[in-house]
Amino acid sequence: MIGALFLYPLGYSLAAAFTEPGSGLTLMHFRKAYELYSTDILFTLFIVITSTLLTGLFAIIIAGILTLGETPWLVGALRQLYRWPLFIPFIVAAQCMRTFLAKNGLMNNSLVALGVMEPLQATSFLDWRGIIITFVWKQVPFVTLMLAGAMASIDRATIEAGRNLGASRLRVLIEIVLPQVSQTLLVGLVLSFVTMLSVLSVPMMVAGSQPTMLTVDMAFRINSYGDYATANALGVISYLIAGTVAWIYLRHNVKREVQA
Amino acid sequence: MNSSPSAAIDIHDLHVSYGRQRVLHGVDLSVAPGEFIAILGSSGCGKTTLLRTVAGFQKAAGGAIRLFGRDVVNMPPEKRGMAMMFQSYALWPHMTVMGNVGYGLRLRGVPKDEIRTRVAKILKMLNLSGLEDRKVTNLSGGQRQRVALGRALAIEPEILLLDEPLSNLDAKVRVQLRSELKSLQNQLGFTAIHVTHDREEAMTMADRIVVMDAGRIAQMGSPKEVFDRPNSPFVASFMGAENTIDLDVNPASKGIEVKADGAAATAWDGRAPPGRVTAYFRDDVASLVDPNARIDGSIVLPGTITQRTYPGGHYRYVVAIADRHFTVTDDDYHELDRPVGLRLPLASLHLFPTDPTKGGNHA
Repeated sequence: MIGALFLYPLGYSLAAAFTEPGSGLTLMHFRKAYELYSTDILFTLFIVITSTLLTGLFAIIIAGILTLGETPWLVGALRQLYRWPLFIPFIVAAQCMRTFLAKNGLMNNSLVALGVMEPLQATSFLDWRGIIITFVWKQVPFVTLMLAGAMASIDRATIEAGRNLGASRLRVLIEIVLPQVSQTLLVGLVLSFVTMLSVLSVPMMVAGSQPTMLTVDMAFRINSYGDYATANALGVISYLIAGTVAWIYLRHNVKREVQA
Repeated sequence: MNSSPSAAIDIHDLHVSYGRQRVLHGVDLSVAPGEFIAILGSSGCGKTTLLRTVAGFQKAAGGAIRLFGRDVVNMPPEKRGMAMMFQSYALWPHMTVMGNVGYGLRLRGVPKDEIRTRVAKILKMLNLSGLEDRKVTNLSGGQRQRVALGRALAIEPEILLLDEPLSNLDAKVRVQLRSELKSLQNQLGFTAIHVTHDREEAMTMADRIVVMDAGRIAQMGSPKEVFDRPNSPFVASFMGAENTIDLDVNPASKGIEVKADGAAATAWDGRAPPGRVTAYFRDDVASLVDPNARIDGSIVLPGTITQRTYPGGHYRYVVAIADRHFTVTDDDYHELDRPVGLRLPLASLHLFPTDPTKGGNHA
């Protein structure tokens, strides 16, 4: 099954990316992909890396509050709310963000109504910022879920020992809790990175214009030109990016195992 | 102890609840500087809750906790400036021995070089020299608990809280660490509260013992006082006097007369509540005598030997008296089924009026 449904198409795509009918092995598809889409490759990297870092930051904050919070209503509310985006598909999230982040969208209207902003200052967030906001909004719950679970399972006394010696809750989070769950955080972020790299709907719906992400470019090459070769070349580039992240993760894992 | 501002820890009318369930019902305790207090009780009596409330990990529902006169009852744990040792050691697995022991100093902004020298000094004191850069996950249980002690002592605390820190160690290491801890306390002079369910540990380490029962202090005093003069059946049986026997106390011409069911009355010049009483006693106060012996100040219960074992040094017998069985040790060899008298010196019994609501008392 794996062979038929995954390995064969994968091998076929790889082969198509590196060959040209009639002239054998070639890198011309990559040259073309690079000439047309080098900006988009960088744009994709920028979006996905920024989103991953922000996702990590917010997940740490929320999981930290859930673990170390002492305000019962805040912890309770957060625990109820933070999982919701998990159950919303990317395309629905993108659709919601369109109405929320548009120039006359809910966010700007609310800010104007609150008097925080003049109507003339209102700008649309439906560009790279919109993609990042959607990605982070969608991925934070996933990473938080993993992270909060890991934090809940560390020995509570290690937290108390830190506070007992005089560490504030923030220091306890950074110096005592996070190092003990870093492995889980890394797994969550690697999975989020790869997921965001492969999402088509969000960049297509939220931003739409140039520059855009590789997934959109690939869809465009195929749908508009039937240009499978260039699309496959872009696909290989995506693989390489995802592969690099996986390699970082594996290397980190091996290092820990050697240490232990 | 009076509750003067000079007390290291002064707890006044402390109430603690978990949700609706009240766990501590008004605890009063005053600990003098340099004193070693053991809080003793069975599980669920509130002793750990009391310690955690003093440390600040559990919110008080009412009452005051003053450390050297400073009220800390609403202060977060990191501001209270005391050190604690945990049952699970609670070492930070991602840090080395150095990192663990030096963390409190790092929080206090002590320069790196000074941290190294101070940590080295403490590790030397605890016989851990040379392990500075070892991961704490690669240490034995005894070493881990020493590191935990070093971590607590590194900040030179005035108050050290001990939450059953020795209970996870094997017997030999436990006894060793017990005396190390005690001598460190003599040397450094910190005030200590030690929570434990181990009676011997409490007796050997503490200046004063606090026995807790169901969220209240049942008795407090020196180890000898609590051991020799328990003020309630609970404390008596907790301190090891787990055998019970019902007696009748009647006034006599000279002093009082004590009589057990099925035995002759004995005159006694001691003091006991009149009427029906329950005597609590430890195995080691009983001895074997002739079944017909009459000894002033002791009651002699006739019975028969039903079991004999030799644990070493002396024989241990099980003596059946009516439907009850008591364990007694004796140096001599006796045949089974032999009628004997079980002698109980009245001065060594703890006598309490029998609680009529409980009927026959078999604590």
